[in-house]
Amino acid sequence: MDDYLKLVNIRKAYGEKVAVNNLSLSVPKGSIYGIIGPNGAGKTTTIRMIMDIIAPDAGDILINGGKVTGEFKNNVGYLPEERGLYKKMTLEEVIVFFAELKGFPKSRTLELIDGWLEKMSLSDYKKKKVEELSKGMQQKLQFITTVIHQPEMIILDELFSGLDPLNIELIKDILMEEKRNGITILFSTHVMEQAEKLCDFICLINKGQKVLDGKLADVKAKFGSNTLQVDMEGDGAFSREIPGVEDMIEFNNYIELKMTPDADTQEILRRLAEKVKIRRFEIMEPSLYEIFIKVARIDPRELIEEQAGHV
Amino acid sequence: MSKLWVIIKREYAQVVKKKSFLIGIILTPAFMAMVIILPAMLATKKPDTVENIAIIDTDGQGIGERFAEGIKAYKLDDSSPAYNVTEILNLNPDDSVAADRARKRLDSLILAKSLKSYLIIDNGIESNDSCFMVAKSFGLQTSRRFDKVISRILSEMRLEKSEINLGTDSVMTLTRRIVFEQQAPGGKERDFLTTYFAGLIFIMIIFVTVVTYGQVLMRSVIEEKNSRIVEVMVSSVSPFQLMGGKIIGLGLASLTQVGIWVALGAIIYVFKGNINIAPAISDTVFNPVFIIYFICFMLLGYLMYSTIFALIGAIVNNEKEAQNFIFPVTMLNILPILMGSYIIQEPESTLVTVLSLIPFLTPTMMILRLNIMGPETFSFVNPIIFEATLGVILTFLATLGIIWVTGRIFRVGILMYGKRPTLPEILRWITYK
Repeated sequence: MDDYLKLVNIRKAYGEKVAVNNLSLSVPKGSIYGIIGPNGAGKTTTIRMIMDIIAPDAGDILINGGKVTGEFKNNVGYLPEERGLYKKMTLEEVIVFFAELKGFPKSRTLELIDGWLEKMSLSDYKKKKVEELSKGMQQKLQFITTVIHQPEMIILDELFSGLDPLNIELIKDILMEEKRNGITILFSTHVMEQAEKLCDFICLINKGQKVLDGKLADVKAKFGSNTLQVDMEGDGAFSREIPGVEDMIEFNNYIELKMTPDADTQEILRRLAEKVKIRRFEIMEPSLYEIFIKVARIDPRELIEEQAGHV
Repeated sequence: MSKLWVIIKREYAQVVKKKSFLIGIILTPAFMAMVIILPAMLATKKPDTVENIAIIDTDGQGIGERFAEGIKAYKLDDSSPAYNVTEILNLNPDDSVAADRARKRLDSLILAKSLKSYLIIDNGIESNDSCFMVAKSFGLQTSRRFDKVISRILSEMRLEKSEINLGTDSVMTLTRRIVFEQQAPGGKERDFLTTYFAGLIFIMIIFVTVVTYGQVLMRSVIEEKNSRIVEVMVSSVSPFQLMGGKIIGLGLASLTQVGIWVALGAIIYVFKGNINIAPAISDTVFNPVFIIYFICFMLLGYLMYSTIFALIGAIVNNEKEAQNFIFPVTMLNILPILMGSYIIQEPESTLVTVLSLIPFLTPTMMILRLNIMGPETFSFVNPIIFEATLGVILTFLATLGIIWVTGRIFRVGILMYGKRPTLPEILRWITYK
C-alpha cells in the first residue's frame, strides 16, 4: 500500500518546551489512521504541522512522496479540536463559503448540500442561522464543511470531543463510508476505546514522542490475550492482591485485571465472587489503553484522571 | 487569488447586509450635521418669547430709560418687541441698603421665573467702562444686543459732553464699523468658520471610515479567533491572504458607504442647483488637486489603520482587552480635530508641518492643511504640494512596514488563545519561521 502522508523526523519546540520530538509516521492511502495519546502529548501540534498552519523546526512532511503544496490544502478536509463557525451566517452560506475556500465550485456544493444536510438531519435548518443550532448540531454542520468538497484526505483533531454517543456512531458510519471511497482518514483522540473501534493503523504518542505505531491488529496480537475485564458491584480494590493478578486498572463501572501468563482465570473469578457481585466478565485482548500504559511506562493514575476529566 | 476573493466577498457581504450599515449611511451624516450645525443654530436662535427684564440704575443720568428705548428695536418673529422692561429702579448711589434690597427682590423674581434678567448700571459707568447683567442663563444673542445698546448709549453721552462740535448722529456715522471679510488668494471668500467646518467634514469622513471599519475588522478577527474559525481558515488560505481579504473586503464596504454619501450629495446638488454652499466648501469639493490627495490619504489612512486594528485583534483575546489599544489609536485620529483651530491659523508653522509628516497623523493633518491652502495645480514649487506628496510617500512606506510586521505577528497571534502575550513575546513572533 502506498503512503499518502509521511512524516519524517519532525520536531517542533515552543521556546524551551519541545512539543513534538523526532516524530516519524506513515499513513497508508485509504486507511483510517489514529494518533492516540493523552492531552499535551503533541497531537494537535503534529496535526497543525501537517496542515501547514505552523512550520516544523526540523523534518519533512511528504504528501504522495512530495512536498506539501497549495493543492494539498484544497484536497484535505480539516476539523480542528476547537470547533466554531460564523454565527450570523446561514447553514447554506457557511457550507458554500468553506467549500469555496477549498476551491470547490459553488455549483457543485449546491448539488451536494441537500444530501449532506439530510444525512445529518439538518435539512430543516438550511436557511437558518448557525446561532439557532444546538452545540451538537453545530458540530455536525462543521463536519459537513470538513468533507463536502470531496477531499482526498480528512484530518480530524480530537474527533470525538463534544459529540454525543448517537452522533459518534453517525460520524463513524460516515467515516467508514468515506474510507470505502478510497479516502485517507487521519484523526487524533485521547479516547482510546473509540479509537480501537475505528482504526486500521495507530500511532501512540506521549510527551511529543512516538511510543508505538503500526497496524492495530498487529499491535494487539503482539501484546497477547491476558486481560480480564470484570463488570461488578462493590469495591474491587482488593483484587490487586489475588495471586495471578499482575496489575489492576479501575474504571467507573468495571475493572481490568492484567494477568500473569500462568494465572488461573477460574481461581481469580472465584476469589472475586467471594467479595463482590459479578455482572459480566470477559477475557480479552489488552486494550489500547493498557498497551499504552505498558509501553509508555507511565503511571496509569495520571491517565485515568486525564480520561475522567475529558470523556 | 480566487481564495482572496472568497474572503473579500464574505467580509463585504457581512457588513453591507447588516441593518446597521443602512442606519450608518443615514445616521452618520445626520449626526455630523447635528454636531456641526446644531450648536451654531441654537446659539444664534432668536428667542421666541418676550423676555422680561429690569434695570437698576444708580448712575442717575437716565441711562436706564435710554436703554429701555434702545432695545425696543429688537423684535420677535411676529414683530412684537423682544424685550419687556418691567421696571427701572433709579436709586441713590450712596444708599447701598436700598440697592441690596432691590437686588434681592429681583433675584427672587428671576428664581420665580417672572423675570429673565436685570441689568445693573453703576454710578460712574462712563469712566469705569463696565456694566453687568444678572440672569440664570445667558443667551449669546441677548448679551451681544445689550452690549451693543449700552456701548452706543455711552458713546453718545461722551460725545454730548465733549467739545467736538458735531452732531451725535454724524459722529456715529463716521465711526461706524466696517464689514471685515477674509479672502483666499485669487479673490475667493474665506472665513474661519467655514474653512474649519469644510476641513472637519473631510476629516470626519476619514475618521469614520478608519475608526469604524478598523474596529469592525478588529472585531471580526477577534470573533474568528474566539470561535477558532481561524484555524480552519489558515488551513485553507495563508494568514496573509486572510488578513488581506478582510482589509480589502471591509475597505470596499466603507468605500460603498462613502460612495453613497457622495452620490446623495451630488443628487442634492444637481436637483437643488440654487443651494447655497459656502465658497470655502465648494472650492474644496470642486478642486481636483484636493480631491486626488483626499482619495490618496483616505485609502492610505484606511489601509494603515485597519492593519493596526487587525494587529490588535490578533494579539488580544476579547474586546475588553482591545479597548486599551483602541484608545491611543483613536487619539491619533482625533488630534488634528483638537488642533484644528491652530492648524487653520498657522497651517505653515514648523510644528504643524512636522506633525503632518508623521505617517500616523499625515492623512488627517495634511487634508486639513490642503483644505486651507487650497492649491489648484500640481506645482512642486508650491511647498504644500511638495509636502503633501512627501506625506503620501512616507505614509505609503510606513503602511508597507506596518503590513509586513502585522503579517508576521498576525499568523502567530491568531493561533494563541488564553494568556495575553507580553511585548517581548510579540516581538519574538516577528522572527518566527
